[in-house]
Amino acid sequence: MKISSFNYLIRQGFKGIWKNKMMTFASFCILLVSLIMVGFAILVSINLDKVIGNIEEKSEVVVVVKDDVSKDSISDLQTKIEDIPNVSDLRLYSRDEALKDMMDKMTEAQRDYFLKYVEDNPLPDVFRLKIKDIQKMNDTTAQIGTFEGVESVQSPTEFADILISFRRIFFIVAIAIVLALVLVSLIIISNTTRASVFARRKEINIMKYVGATNSFIRIPFFIEGMVVGLLASGCALLITKFAYEGVYNILTSDYKLFGVFGLNNIYSFDSMLLPVTVSYLVAGAFIGAIGTSISTGKHLKV
Amino acid sequence: MVEFRDVSVTYSSGVDALNKVNLKINDGDFAFVVGPSGAGKSTLIKLILKEIDASTGTVLVNGFNLRKLRRKKVPALRRTIGVVFQDFRLIPTMTVYENIAFVLRVIDAPAKYIRSRVPYVISLVGLSKKAKSYPTELSGGEQQRVALARALVNDPQLIIADEPTGNIDPELSYEIVELLKGINECGTTILMVTHEHDLVRYFGGRIININKGSIQFDEVIGGSNEN
Repeated sequence: MKISSFNYLIRQGFKGIWKNKMMTFASFCILLVSLIMVGFAILVSINLDKVIGNIEEKSEVVVVVKDDVSKDSISDLQTKIEDIPNVSDLRLYSRDEALKDMMDKMTEAQRDYFLKYVEDNPLPDVFRLKIKDIQKMNDTTAQIGTFEGVESVQSPTEFADILISFRRIFFIVAIAIVLALVLVSLIIISNTTRASVFARRKEINIMKYVGATNSFIRIPFFIEGMVVGLLASGCALLITKFAYEGVYNILTSDYKLFGVFGLNNIYSFDSMLLPVTVSYLVAGAFIGAIGTSISTGKHLKV
Repeated sequence: MVEFRDVSVTYSSGVDALNKVNLKINDGDFAFVVGPSGAGKSTLIKLILKEIDASTGTVLVNGFNLRKLRRKKVPALRRTIGVVFQDFRLIPTMTVYENIAFVLRVIDAPAKYIRSRVPYVISLVGLSKKAKSYPTELSGGEQQRVALARALVNDPQLIIADEPTGNIDPELSYEIVELLKGINECGTTILMVTHEHDLVRYFGGRIININKGSIQFDEVIGGSNEN
C-alpha cells in the first residue's frame, strides 16, 4: 500500500470519529469503565501478591538442636542447613542468648524464683531461618529433620498451606475477572460500533464491488477504534491514578491498623507508572481496534 | 471476455437459477441481457462478480477462471470490472469528485493520477460543473452519470450495467445508453441488463434473452435508430 493511500485511510478513520459522534462517545464510555475495572483488578492482584509475599517472608522456621550436640557439630549442622537452596536468613540462636533474653523479659521476682530452682540452662540451641519458596516448605523442613543433631523442626506449615491455597485461588479469580471484563468490553464495543458500521454498509458494499481488499475497508474502522481506545485509556489512567493514590494514602497513613497485615506495604502508583501506562494504552487500543473490526466482518462477505 | 461453460446455479433453497448456460461475450462487445423477473439475470451478474459460485460448470471473466479463483484474489477480478446499479449506490456523504476518486484510492492509484483522471472522467459524462455537488443535490439522470463515471474511472475491461435506466426518466434513459455506447466504442465490453424493450429495439445490437434459467435467444438485431 502506498503512503498516500495509508494517509487517506488514517484521515478516513479520524473523519469517522467525528461523523459518528454519538457512537464514538458510547464506545468511549464503555471502554473507560472497562479499563478502570480491569486496571483495578490487576492493581489489587499485584498488591495482594506483594502483601502475601510479605506475610510469607515473615513466616519463620525453628530448628531445635539436641542437648548433647557439641559446638563443632552445631557449626557443621549450620553449614548443612545453609547449603539447602530454599533456606535464607539462617541464624543461630544459642541457648545462652535465649536464656539472657528470657531473663531480661522476667520481673525480678520471677528471675529469683527461676534461679532458685533451675541450676542449668534448660533452653536448647536453635536455628531460625526463612523459607524462600513457601510451596516447598514441607520438603525443606523434612530434609532438615533428617540431619544428625536435630531434635525437631517447628514450622507454620498449616499457615503456609492456607497462604498457598489463597494465592492460587486469588490468581485464578483475578485472571478470570480480567478475561471476563476484556471479553465483555469486546462484545459491547463491537455491538456499539455495529450500528455505525451498519449505517456505512452501503459504503462498504460499494468498496467491495470496486475491488477494495478487506484490509483497505477495515483500516479506517481499526484506526477509529484505536483512537477512541487510546483516549479512553488516557482518561482511565488519570482516574485510576487519583483513586489509587487516595487508597494508598489511607493505607500508608495508619501503620497500627494496616501494618499488621502488611497492607501499608503496597506499591506506590509512581513505582508502577510505566507498566500501568503501557498496559492501559495497549489494552485500550487493542480492545477499541479489535472490537470495532469485529463489527465490519459481517459486511465484508460480498 | 466473459465465458460461461455449462454453468448451472442451484440456490440452497432448491431454486434452479441457471441451467447449463453456455455464453461467450467477446472483448469489445455490447450486449443487452433481457428477460422477466426471476429469469436468472441477477444470478448471471452475481456469478461474473463472484458474489456467488456456480454449482457446476466454469465461468471465465477477463482471464480469471472463477472456479479456481481464491477469495483473496476477488478484489483483483473486480478491479477489471465496472458496475452500474439501478439505485446508483453513490455514497451520500461524498461529493461527485470524491465518489469517483474513491475507486482509484481503493486500487492504490497515485495521487497525481487521481487528480488528472477524475476531472477527465467527470467531463466525459458532462458533469464538470457538478463536481463539488453531493449526490442528493443531483437529479436521477445525473446520479446515474456519476455512477457511470465511477464505473469507468479505473478503465475496466468490462462494464456491467444492471438496469441502469430503471430509476430515471425515459428520455434520460436514451442518454445513458448513448454514453454506454460511446464507452463501448473506445473498446470496453458492455453488458447491460434491462427490462426496457423499447430501449433495446431502438438501439439494437446483441440481445441475450434469459428465461427460467436458460438462454432462449442470443442474436444480433438491427436497431430502429439505424433507420
